Amino acid sequence: MTAHPSLAHRVKQLSVAQMLAGVGNRLTPYLYLAPALFFIGLFVLWPVARAFYNSLYDGNLLFPYREYVGPERYVDLLTNERFHQILIQSAYYLVLMLAGAFALPILLAIVTLNVTEREIGIFQSVFFLPTVIAANIAVSVWIWFYNPTGGLFNTVLKAFGAEPVVWLRDKDLVIPAVALVAIWKQFGFHYLIALAGLKSVPKDLTEAAAVDGANNRTITRRVILPLFGPTALFLLVITLIQGLEFTFVPIEVLTGGGPAGASSNLIYSIYQEGFRTFRVGLASAQSVVLIVLFGGLAYVQYRMLERNVQYDR
Amino acid sequence: MTASASERLASRTILLFALVLVITPLVYLVGLSFKAPEGIFSNPIVPFSWPLDLTNYRSVLQQMDVPKFFLNSLIYAGGVTLGQLILAIPAAFAFSYYDFRFKNLLMSIVLISLIVPFVVTYVPNYLLLARWGLLNSLAGMIIPMLGISVGFGIFLLRQHFQTFPQEVFDAARIDGANSWQVLWRVLVPSSLAPIVSVAIYVFIITWNRFIWPLLVGGGDPASYTMTVAVDIYYANPESGANWGNLMAASVVSTLPSLLLYIALRKQILRTFIEGAVKG
Repeated sequence: MTAHPSLAHRVKQLSVAQMLAGVGNRLTPYLYLAPALFFIGLFVLWPVARAFYNSLYDGNLLFPYREYVGPERYVDLLTNERFHQILIQSAYYLVLMLAGAFALPILLAIVTLNVTEREIGIFQSVFFLPTVIAANIAVSVWIWFYNPTGGLFNTVLKAFGAEPVVWLRDKDLVIPAVALVAIWKQFGFHYLIALAGLKSVPKDLTEAAAVDGANNRTITRRVILPLFGPTALFLLVITLIQGLEFTFVPIEVLTGGGPAGASSNLIYSIYQEGFRTFRVGLASAQSVVLIVLFGGLAYVQYRMLERNVQYDR
Repeated sequence: MTASASERLASRTILLFALVLVITPLVYLVGLSFKAPEGIFSNPIVPFSWPLDLTNYRSVLQQMDVPKFFLNSLIYAGGVTLGQLILAIPAAFAFSYYDFRFKNLLMSIVLISLIVPFVVTYVPNYLLLARWGLLNSLAGMIIPMLGISVGFGIFLLRQHFQTFPQEVFDAARIDGANSWQVLWRVLVPSSLAPIVSVAIYVFIITWNRFIWPLLVGGGDPASYTMTVAVDIYYANPESGANWGNLMAASVVSTLPSLLLYIALRKQILRTFIEGAVKG
């Protein structure tokens, strides 16, 4: 009779231990995730929330909350002519980036399908070189290319008897000149993605088409390109989302946004207001505009990443 | 797929032309760094002059504390890489092997962190570092970068961990190993190749970063990285006709990422493609 309570006691103990183990097991994945999510929360999500909050105040880097401005900040910003100019210049940059960092890499990747594997290896390795070099380092040689006196471009022009050009101080030339550098830096990476997308088209599909008598051009157009759609969409979205970021270091190193703001864009302007003129509130409000303008595209990119995540399992 | 001979020739010509355009700036970058200072203006079109002249490299080594800045870059890039792996490996493990509430939500947070533009986070993070007294320190440079870039490591490692057979994982559990042991004694040792790939990728990207180290460490030479030092010492070369010095400093500062790339090209290209999402 005395054994029973103790047995019951032991059974109870066991179940408590099991319960604890069960809770422990259920907590395990959260414990593994906690450190990484803490860092993401503190240094990515929290700053985004801060940007919304900071945009309602006027102040500098030392005293960001000197004065409450409120939603009026956005009325001021959105009716400001200089800001309109910055948005127009941003659009101009994006058009150039679409030509050079979206269309061009895809066209060259299609052309690449005609050469041998060994040649493909060489081309993609060399095209990719500017991407593995630090942005400001890669841009440094362009300072000299564009230098009005004794720089490479004007020396070549002079050799052909043409007038020298002040590449970076001409407000009509400066954006294409800066965008060219950004494209040169980014081209190889996008070419790599495009080529990987084209080559992931199953060989038996193209071979079957060839057996059916389709020629090369038909195979490219009818078999490969339709299957290339998702890659093209991905490239389009990242070119649009990151296009302005690619131009950031070239602007900073080559022009500082000049002459008279003619080469600035939304990303550069946020940085400049934050760290050059120290108007944190204004920089934050422009950040919010950036998030709103690119939110839709970011959502498309997010869905693509998410789909990729779900594919795997 | 077989192309006709003329198509092949046309394709080759186009690609060779593009190759020349892409490589030209790099040829001048290296060439000018080996030109004597007076030779840079006398014949600007020819990138190289013979014999190679080391004057620019000598003056760069004299003018700036290359070993110090190099070490700073190494600590910064190495610190971010190591910290990122320590954070990303357990997180990727949890996402690959467990089912739990809010899993999708938490994965969304990771994905969103990959998309947020860097300028949005820089001002608030700068303010945070100022409050903590971490400006002009390598720690201040490293710590926020862990949050900004860790999503990438999680994303990439997760894809690799998932290809690891669940049965091996279950067998180790039945043998009495707890999940921590399974992670570090079974999964990590057998996933060294992808882990090293991610590490190289993060190292190169971080070594190359310029704006963030400039903002955080640009106020004090003690915390300059190589990219920052090149900018601060030489980015305004028009004043002193320091073109050769700028190019020499640039070459020195890019050597580690360039050598890694040359040595491990295939692996690095593959990681970049995976990081960009398999189309």
